[in-house]
Order: sequence, then structure tokens, then C-alpha cells
Amino acid sequence: MSWRSALGRVEGHGSAKEGVSHWWVQRLTSVALIPLGCWFVIALLALPQLDYSTVAAWVRGGWTAPVLILFVIVGAWHSQLGVRVVVEDYVGDVGMKTLALALSSFAHIVLAAIGVFAVLRIALGSAA
Amino acid sequence: MAQLRLPKDSRVNPRGRVHRAAASSASTRTLRIYRFDPESAEGPRVDTFELDVSSCPMVLDALILIKGTLDSTLTFRRSCREGICGSCAMNINGLNRLACTTSMADLGGEIRIYPLPHMPVVKDLVPDLTQFYAQYALVEPWLKTRTPAPPDRERLQSKHEQERIDRPAACILCACCSTACPSYWWNGERFLGPAALLAAYRWIVDTRDEESGERLDQLEDPFRLYRCHTIMNCTDVCPKDLNPAKAIAEIKKMMVTRRY
Repeated sequence: MSWRSALGRVEGHGSAKEGVSHWWVQRLTSVALIPLGCWFVIALLALPQLDYSTVAAWVRGGWTAPVLILFVIVGAWHSQLGVRVVVEDYVGDVGMKTLALALSSFAHIVLAAIGVFAVLRIALGSAA
Repeated sequence: MAQLRLPKDSRVNPRGRVHRAAASSASTRTLRIYRFDPESAEGPRVDTFELDVSSCPMVLDALILIKGTLDSTLTFRRSCREGICGSCAMNINGLNRLACTTSMADLGGEIRIYPLPHMPVVKDLVPDLTQFYAQYALVEPWLKTRTPAPPDRERLQSKHEQERIDRPAACILCACCSTACPSYWWNGERFLGPAALLAAYRWIVDTRDEESGERLDQLEDPFRLYRCHTIMNCTDVCPKDLNPAKAIAEIKKMMVTRRY
């Protein structure tokens, strides 16, 4: 039971004056993922087989590595923005929400770093 | 975390009282209506009413007939009975609509009537709309200007400018849209909901208003505006055929374009 007025309750701590960047970047990354995702799937399907040496040779060839790195970064970025929305939607407790958002951000950065490192290691490593 | 089950006192007993009109006829219909009395120790229940509805073209007529002949304690809001006051908004066969503009003939089988979803219930079909009205007040739904009004006439608009606010201004604040929105269910205290955002849009695009920027500032918030995930239940259920989802999308576009 609170004696705070209804208007005071919905006013809360006021407008955060942000959210537009998050919303806009989520749209931009989703648009970017359409060609990147299609390219990734089509390129893999076009390979004669999907064993390690064939895929590694594909990663080393031509422009594959930079586009693959872009795909990893944009994918992780988009996923982080999306998971943030899900957490904000469904986790009501402020402490849990803060923890979940922080952990999700860390996890996405770590995943992106591992992905980029993996691509670089294959692309710049020796052919053997 | 999200609560998946209603608290014990809010769980609805599906087998409430049964009220039958004396004579049964071909036009007898069954209405199953949510009941809750805050002064009784009993939790909410669903009562069954069977009555001749031949004199009831609309659902509201049937409710009035029930109140007049079968159970005078049945409580609901109603006023204009022609879809302009928004009082009799309720959930009828799973959709939020106005009882006065919902035809009995359009509803097949048993008719299930509940209060608007996910709002505190005052009694029976009467939801507590305090928060909903506060959110409307928050968007300051009135003309704000710095330029003094012309001394000899009203502030003018072109026909085209008026047409932009024609539809949004037709909102009757029945709350069908906001209470149909899952985002509003989960975060109703912080998400303003489609009705308040439609009202905000109506003033943002009003060419006589001079505080569009301040209005956008007030809305720029991950919860107030961006909880809208374009589910579009709002537009689906609006009894006035308005499009709050589009208004919200327009606000989001303005948020982006004002930065470039």
C-alpha cells in the first residue's frame, strides 16, 4: 500500500532520455544480418563437404575472413540488444535485472571475442 | 521473475452460481460472467446466466436485462450505449470490446464476459483504471504553445493538418487497446501503453502545438515508449478502428529522424 499519487507512480524517475539508439541499432543490425546470414549459409552449402579442412580452407580464402568477422560482431551485437529487451520485459526485480543485463553483455563480448579470434587464428594460421 | 500463476485469492472458481430465467425458448442464450465482490471472503468466480435474449441486440442489452431480472448485484460500467463513452469496455469471448457495440448475433455459443485483462478489479466487470488515466495525464493531452493566440480568431490549421489528428483524436479512452497489450501486462507501471501513446502522438503531430520536442523528450525511454514490440493487439481490438500501433511506430521514427 502506498499513498503516492497515481500520477507520481507513473512518472517514476522520469524519462531516461535514451532508448532511441538501442532501437535504431537493433534495426540496423537486423538489416545487416540479412545479407550476412544469407551469404554465410549459401557459402557453407556451396562447399563440397563440411569437414574441418574444407571449411578452414574456405575461411583462409579471398575475403571470407573479414566478412566472417563482420558476421560474428554484428550477430553478437544484435543478439545482445535482443537479449536486453527480453530481460527488461520479463525480469521485474531491479537487482536481478541489473545482474542479468551485465552478465548478458559480458557473455556477448566474450563470445564475439572468441569468434573473432577463431576466425583470425584459422585465417592467419598455417595451412596445415 | 515473471509470475506464471495467479495468487491464490485471484484464482477464478469456474463453477459459480447458476441463474436461469423461468421460461426457456429458442432465443435462450448462456452467458458466463466473471464475478468478484471485494466485500465477500469468496474469491472470484464465473456465474452462469441463461435467459431469453430476443430483446437484446447487443451484449450490453443482455447485461442490463440480467441486472434487471436475474441478479441486481451484477456490476458493470455503461453510459452512452452507442460506442462513444468507452465505459462498457470488457473482455467478451476473449477479445476486448465495447459491450454496447458488440452484437449478440455475432457471438456463437456461450458468451464469456470478463473484465478488461490484467487490471485490478473493483467489482465484477469494473476494472480499476486509475493507472491508465494517470498515464493519459502524463502525456499532458492539451495544446501547449508559446505564440499567443490570434486576438480575433482561433489558431488555424489546414485541412490536411487537421486530417492528421482526426483519427487519433477519435480515441474514447475505453482502455481496450492498452489492456490487450502483453507489454502493458508485464510492465504496465512503466510502459505508457498504446492509448496514452496514441494521445501523445495526437499532440505531437498537431501543427498548433509548439512543444513536440518536449513531448518526444518525455517519451524517450526504454520503458515508456520502447516496450512496444509491435504486437499490434491494440490495433486489432480498437472498437473505433484506430491504429495505435502505427502511431507508436511514427513516434519511434520521429525519435530517429530528429537526430539527423
